[in-house]
Amino acid sequence: MATQKGGYTPSLEKFLDSLKSRPVQASVELLISLLKRRQIKGSEACATATAHILLQVVARDKWTNVDQLLGRIQLIGRKLVAAQPHELAIGNIVRRVLGLIRDEASEERNDATTDSPRPASPSVPALGHPSSPPKPVRPPTLTLIGSFARTQSMFNLLSDPNVFPPSGSNPSTPGQVSGASTPILNPQATNVSALRSEVIDGIQEIMDEIKMVDEQVQTYADIFIHPGDYILVYSPSRTVQKFLIRAASKRKFTVFLVVDPSSATSSEAQYASLLKSMASSGSSVITVLNAGLMAYMSRVDKVILGARAITAQGGVIVDSGAAAIARAARERRRTVIVLGGVYKLSPESKLLSESQVEWGDPSKYVSFADGSLVSHVRVKNAVSEFLPADQVDTYITNLGAHAQENLHTIIADHYKEEDINFDLSGKAQR
Amino acid sequence: MSQSKGGRGGAASKGKKGGKPGGEEKREAALQAVLIADDFQTRFLPFSLDKPRPLANGSALPQCLLPLANTPLIEYTLEFLAMNDVKEVFIYCGAHYEQIERYIQNSRWLPIAQSSPFSVLEFIRVADARSEGDFLRDLDGRGIIGGDFLLVHGDLISNLSLEGALAAHRARREANRDSCMTMVLREAGAAEHHTKARTKAPIFIVDPRKNRCLHYEEINPFHADRYVDLDPTILEHAEAEARTDLVDAQIDICTPDVLALWSESFDYELPRANFLHGVLKDWELNGKMIHTDIVAEGYSARATNLQMYDAISHDVLGGWAYPFTPDCNLLKGQTYHLRNNNVYQEDDVFVEDDAEAIDAALGRDTHVGSKSIIQNSIIGRNCKIGSNVRIVDSFIWDDVEIDDGAVIEHAIIADTTRVGKGAAVREGSLVSFGVRVGENSDIGASTVLSLLSHNRSPLESQPKVVGTQGKGAIFQYPEEDEAVAEELERLENSLIYNLDQFDIDSSSVSSLGDDDFSDDDSEAASATPSQPTVRSRLSSFASDDSGAPNFSSFHADAVHGLLEVLRGSVGDFDSEKLEFTSLRLANNASDVAMRKAVATAFVRRAVELMNAESSGLDAVKAAKEALTSRAGASSFVADVGVGGDSVSEQLEFALAVQRACVSSTKVIEAAKAGNLLAAMLQQMYDLDVLEEDGLLAWWEDARGKEGEVMPAVRAKCQPLIEWLENAEEESDEDDEDSD
Repeated sequence: MATQKGGYTPSLEKFLDSLKSRPVQASVELLISLLKRRQIKGSEACATATAHILLQVVARDKWTNVDQLLGRIQLIGRKLVAAQPHELAIGNIVRRVLGLIRDEASEERNDATTDSPRPASPSVPALGHPSSPPKPVRPPTLTLIGSFARTQSMFNLLSDPNVFPPSGSNPSTPGQVSGASTPILNPQATNVSALRSEVIDGIQEIMDEIKMVDEQVQTYADIFIHPGDYILVYSPSRTVQKFLIRAASKRKFTVFLVVDPSSATSSEAQYASLLKSMASSGSSVITVLNAGLMAYMSRVDKVILGARAITAQGGVIVDSGAAAIARAARERRRTVIVLGGVYKLSPESKLLSESQVEWGDPSKYVSFADGSLVSHVRVKNAVSEFLPADQVDTYITNLGAHAQENLHTIIADHYKEEDINFDLSGKAQR
Repeated sequence: MSQSKGGRGGAASKGKKGGKPGGEEKREAALQAVLIADDFQTRFLPFSLDKPRPLANGSALPQCLLPLANTPLIEYTLEFLAMNDVKEVFIYCGAHYEQIERYIQNSRWLPIAQSSPFSVLEFIRVADARSEGDFLRDLDGRGIIGGDFLLVHGDLISNLSLEGALAAHRARREANRDSCMTMVLREAGAAEHHTKARTKAPIFIVDPRKNRCLHYEEINPFHADRYVDLDPTILEHAEAEARTDLVDAQIDICTPDVLALWSESFDYELPRANFLHGVLKDWELNGKMIHTDIVAEGYSARATNLQMYDAISHDVLGGWAYPFTPDCNLLKGQTYHLRNNNVYQEDDVFVEDDAEAIDAALGRDTHVGSKSIIQNSIIGRNCKIGSNVRIVDSFIWDDVEIDDGAVIEHAIIADTTRVGKGAAVREGSLVSFGVRVGENSDIGASTVLSLLSHNRSPLESQPKVVGTQGKGAIFQYPEEDEAVAEELERLENSLIYNLDQFDIDSSSVSSLGDDDFSDDDSEAASATPSQPTVRSRLSSFASDDSGAPNFSSFHADAVHGLLEVLRGSVGDFDSEKLEFTSLRLANNASDVAMRKAVATAFVRRAVELMNAESSGLDAVKAAKEALTSRAGASSFVADVGVGGDSVSEQLEFALAVQRACVSSTKVIEAAKAGNLLAAMLQQMYDLDVLEEDGLLAWWEDARGKEGEVMPAVRAKCQPLIEWLENAEEESDEDDEDSD
């Protein structure tokens, strides 16, 4: 009876299973500890978990207006990022969701304002108000509340009670909304539920996007891999493996599979499916141990690496060991291609490259049983490495292939400026 | 308990939702764990004494709340349990109940606080517990354990995933009901390893094919020969390996049968030296099997003493316990980040540019002055470290000030201490809470400084040690009765494992020689040295059962039995002698424990007689009554209590009587106790139980003059001793005369 019982160790699957049966706050805390204990790791798993938890927050938490929701997501986002600052994907998803909420909220408003008796003026993004969502600007009655000026429309007043100073926290009191007593019955409720479902749909799209990344990325395989190519891959992630398999279905080429010597024993099983499908389609795979790498580099045409995260400047966080390969490829002027979903592309601008390197358990290299080494030698095992932008030629995401210069455009498409500047890893409110 | 039932029901229903049926047992859904937060050891003296904070009225800092890499130990343990999806946790506490509970109440682990991964977290306090065994026997009585459970200690640090071990355990239990426990052990190589327990090294005899543990022993460095006695039946197994290369973090997966076994053996105290050893030895009687799960990956260790604390801290800094490194920020509010040179630094730490930190952790608001060097050290929050300071291999807790030019090498500096300018704290030193080391003082190697003595009374400052502006004095560890125990104790209490200070060859042979069990060859020789250690530590010398929770069962039983006979209610001394001897054998009691028991019983009888309401006798009569009213009493004392004619044995017994009288001062006033002591000794002298030489040796012995009460009680014997000395002279004179 010792067969698999699902076991006791928490995992992403179990976490997702239990999401519905648990209060939202408890799920958030659970995810934080899972991230801290590295029981959920890898950018895809982290991104999926983050998206799910934010979905729960949007769907099940009580919130009555957009700012409240945004604040809540920001708070949770900060906590999640603090729990595992090395996984940039968490912050990316949080920012995506924040942007999504802002978008939906402004759309809602546009819809609502068109319903209102006076035709709305074309919406202009509220520049210079980093914390407020873009909202339609009417012939404004500017009121200065606190430190920032806001435009007030009847609708805004109703939908956005945080515009008021705390004393006027109940916006439906007609006395406080000057002359704004309206015939609309409970507009917030309809508004909130509509917004809620919109945002939920949006988050689900993000989740689908994460799931689809591998398939979408692999569609570019035959563009980049040509017949007779010599491709070098390093401890290929699932994305890279699928990419190769897809290419192999159309082309015949040779793959140098570089394996980390410390994990060489398990690699056979790990890459069995890759080896099998490559062989069945007539391409050949040569397994290379990391040490003999440089000798092969002259033969290689392209190096394909999977990204853990991609920074706005084009730097890439890769599995440890990959940076040396990229460096070697650079010396030989070989092409380095990085694969990764758009969700891995981080808008974070203030990244220190060395602080993104996570140091893991040294027992990968030195057995803990070796007493004298353990007590006298400091062994460090990097889990990830930082690859500077100049060592990467092409980035392939689910949206296509990009050069380094294009990354900014993608970031601008996917993230709102106010969210990019929002300091998720700040030390506030842990 | 209703609360816990509710919780369990909830957890069970949740488990059903998870939907994992199968041939498993009924309540498999929620994994339970028992966390023992008090292991009745005093390995962390003087840090486990008062934390002299005016605000917190804490009485002591429990071991599991000591900061390891600036995070209390129990956090790692609870994190480990959460990591393995434990749902219900029962925390057993003894003396430090309040602090542990207060700590947990304010933590994120409370089930009410949503953040907790546990559905039940319950405190169980056993007020009269004297050992871990009492906890587990109590647990058996409560019936809260539904199925398999984890048994861990509050000072465990581990990142092991127990999935495999649990599955294997279940499979074994399915196959055979009698496999009742699985111990999860970590391989650590045959060579020297700093994380292996060195003071009491465990030896597991394991059948490698079935992973069954056949025999367990502990050896310590004072074992002269370092051999282990094996039962010949062990060799009937096809294969057996003797493993000394294992780190035993005492992670046990137990079935409820284990608790039943504990209950059956009321005298087991320690889960390893007593329980495991005993159950394996009696395998043919109980038929229970204990298995091992030896893992070669992951980290697990228990911070049982300062050496382990040292080793584990460095392992944590070195990332061996990953993901539990400082930058995992287990506690709310921690903000550690890994910087260059393997320095874990919290926010708002200020290190001058020309200061150098390598392999260190620095807590919030700590300031490191220029040209200071910090190597391989952990520094807590809000510390002020001056310039030109050198800190190597050390642990500095919170709110410590270290002034310019100070040097600290391989030491532990506790909260709110201050090390003055140019002072040096050398290797192996421990500086407890609130001590001030004055300017330019040099604290020599392995010095222990504290403001409090081991019984929590304030110590007079010693300007010679800490300088004129300093505060604090050299800390004296509580006395041990036996040489072996004391040396082992000293070794365990020190930060640095160093055998040089011990005279191993001479002391160990002799002390093992008079170990009372060497004559019993069915018993394992090696278990004995460890047991007296424990026992003598546990049995604080108090004479009333009610107020003395730390009584060993042998002592209590023996004293009780003797008293019954002395009162004349049952039996006589012949049968009592038999009974006493068997009790002693059953408990592995040492000579010291025996003397103590005999002396205590007689003194208590005398005290009873003195205090009897109807016939309050005076001391002389009471002593006489106690020693002579029952036939055979004096010969019993002579045979069992003193046990020999040699001066040293008589000395020891006289000392035991003195101590018994001292502890009787709780019941009678000190003057009376003194009178009683004089009368008892006089009486014993008259009865030829004690001889002149023995009494005179006792009088000279320094141990009788320690403390406050001891000399006071002893003073009354002055006339007796003078009389004895005179008598001796007279007899000498007589001899001369007769010549």
